[in-house]
Amino acid sequence: MKNRVRELRAGQGLAQGQLAEAMGVSRQTINSIENDRYTPSLPLALALARYFGVTVEEMFDDQGALPDGRAL
Amino acid sequence: MIKERCQTAARSKWFFPLFCLGLGVVVLLASWLGGQLGAGVYGLVVMAVFGLVVLLLAGRSETIRGLTIGRDERFAQIDLRATAVAGLAVILAVIVAFLVAIAHGQNGSPYTWLGAIAGLAYLAAVGYFRWRG
Repeated sequence: MKNRVRELRAGQGLAQGQLAEAMGVSRQTINSIENDRYTPSLPLALALARYFGVTVEEMFDDQGALPDGRAL
Repeated sequence: MIKERCQTAARSKWFFPLFCLGLGVVVLLASWLGGQLGAGVYGLVVMAVFGLVVLLLAGRSETIRGLTIGRDERFAQIDLRATAVAGLAVILAVIVAFLVAIAHGQNGSPYTWLGAIAGLAYLAAVGYFRWRG
């Protein structure tokens, strides 16, 4: 899923490891999210959005698709 | 608080090495009871060395650290998938062994029982997780 995690993290001058520490996950998990290889759980998505002071919709873009791939 | 929500499990770095050592001791005891003390000592040494290697590498590898000490949600998902693949491999091996056994005129034991246990465990797990929601 496309997201703005890298952009928001870089905007605050944070390293992946620092964000990972703040979220309680591994640096690899943050890296996977930023590279669209891993979609975080709802609690982690909410925590990331709250951390950067944005909404989940502003951070993650599901491109208007349903979970099964159909357009909404 | 965020950390508590996202970190699904965290263990001491000694958990996995001590688990390996404990398993090695069990292997040693079982081998000793079976009159094969040498094989038991070998098993204990192998398990102890494996645990020590994991302990040493956990400080350098995020992957090993994630799989042994701190398991975040992504590692938990990886672990779940890897466990499913390993289980599937064992079930396929049991099915192939069962077919080979009956093709040789044997009754398929113990593969019949192993396959039944796998099938029943799967159905029980599906039922439980559906019930739990």
